[in-house]
Amino acid sequence: MRESKLKILNEEEKKQFINKLKEQFGIKALDGLLVQRNEGKIYLFTGNLNKEELLKLLDFLDIDRIGVYFGKIQNDKIRLSIEGSQLLKDQISKNIYELSENEVFEWMKGQELLISTGKRDFLIMKSGDDFLGTGKASENKITNFIPKARRLKK
Amino acid sequence: MSQRKPPELKLLFLERMKKLLSGEDFKKYLEIIKVPPVKSFRCNTLKIAPEKLKQRLENKGWKISQPWKEHSEVMIVENELEPGELGRALEHLLGYYYIQELASMLPVIALKPKPGERILDLCAAPGSKTTQLASEMKNKGVIFANEISLGRLRILASNLERCGVANVLLTRKEGSAFCNRFLKNYPEFKFDKILIDAPCSGEGTLRSSYQTYIMWNIKTVKSLPRIQKRLFLSAFKLLKKGGEIIYSTCTHAPEENEGVVSDILGFLGDSIEIIEPELPKELKSREGILEWEGVSFDSRVRLCRRIYPQDNDTEGFFIAKFRKVRELEGGINPNEGS
Repeated sequence: MRESKLKILNEEEKKQFINKLKEQFGIKALDGLLVQRNEGKIYLFTGNLNKEELLKLLDFLDIDRIGVYFGKIQNDKIRLSIEGSQLLKDQISKNIYELSENEVFEWMKGQELLISTGKRDFLIMKSGDDFLGTGKASENKITNFIPKARRLKK
Repeated sequence: MSQRKPPELKLLFLERMKKLLSGEDFKKYLEIIKVPPVKSFRCNTLKIAPEKLKQRLENKGWKISQPWKEHSEVMIVENELEPGELGRALEHLLGYYYIQELASMLPVIALKPKPGERILDLCAAPGSKTTQLASEMKNKGVIFANEISLGRLRILASNLERCGVANVLLTRKEGSAFCNRFLKNYPEFKFDKILIDAPCSGEGTLRSSYQTYIMWNIKTVKSLPRIQKRLFLSAFKLLKKGGEIIYSTCTHAPEENEGVVSDILGFLGDSIEIIEPELPKELKSREGILEWEGVSFDSRVRLCRRIYPQDNDTEGFFIAKFRKVRELEGGINPNEGS
């Protein structure tokens, strides 16, 4: 069998991942396969291939990635990507920070928000129907993880 | 419409276009290629509904039109924007739309992808058509998006991510090598549909890219059909019986279009049929041509579709659609006709 940089999470690993999502953001269910690639980056695959089919394909194809970048496991917690937060928008029920109109622009420029939320955890950043990924709240700020390519130009 | 002065067109290119188009038509063609294309984009229905996006952009002061009634996801910004504004907008960064030239949307419209299907996008970068496929498939089924170049693969990955495409496998391989490896290792796996948006001389993209003026040369036009046919014949083996293939290019060159299609029909005999692609009703398209520079093509190439810039204020494109009738007995040599 070929060595692959992609690892499909098994049922137990997926269950643990969903439990973390439940604990952090109130998520109840997640359809699809989870694939790990490079340093804890998790991808979600919603295609109609089962794990056995994917393993067979990984054995002979140079598959660079599977599915969409969904989030990263960081210090045993999950930091959802912009797409991860958008895909789960109907289920997210806690640890949400609602951005004001001005804050949306600051956030999307990649700036940290100098505010105290009283929390020290990952927060889902949203503005109305727009879900803008995850920030990390600490004592006096929310750290920004918007990738450079997705930022508004200053 | 603002005009700009493009670099001088090569004489041989002009002569060839003059052969394809008649007097007045040729003049209209020369006029329109001086004008930049309209600012078109496609709503990413994986993330937002077309009417909601339209309303949101109109609230910003943009004037939006939807040129094709049955494709409300296709939109044009009618008013002037600052240079780069379409790509810098928050809605673009959030993946709510994909900037895409109108004619480039046609191959996927003609392929009619459906949720649950298994689709191969053989030459996928930069991802405009892959994201369109995923949108039509509602992220269900599977898309194999293949690209030969590492640089272009990164752009493809970035576009797929921004658009939230979750039913995709991204592979990096030369197209026919991808097909051959697939067939050798997983012969029972067949695709419902295949898109071959083939590498081409790009004559149809003159309005968007001055690079095409500089890069164009007859040697490329004459050498590409070999690659294009090899891609098609390799991919055909991965298609299930009853499955469909779109072969498209963004060039007007008959060698890369009807010439390729005519040869394919010859190689594959009654294992394949060519069918007329269904395109938006508002769009004017022309039949494939039957003869070029003394070479006659299979009369069925008439069912191909030529899109000229002057007909719809778009870029130029060529689309052919096929259905696999049965497996070819005795196999195919992908180098045939080279």
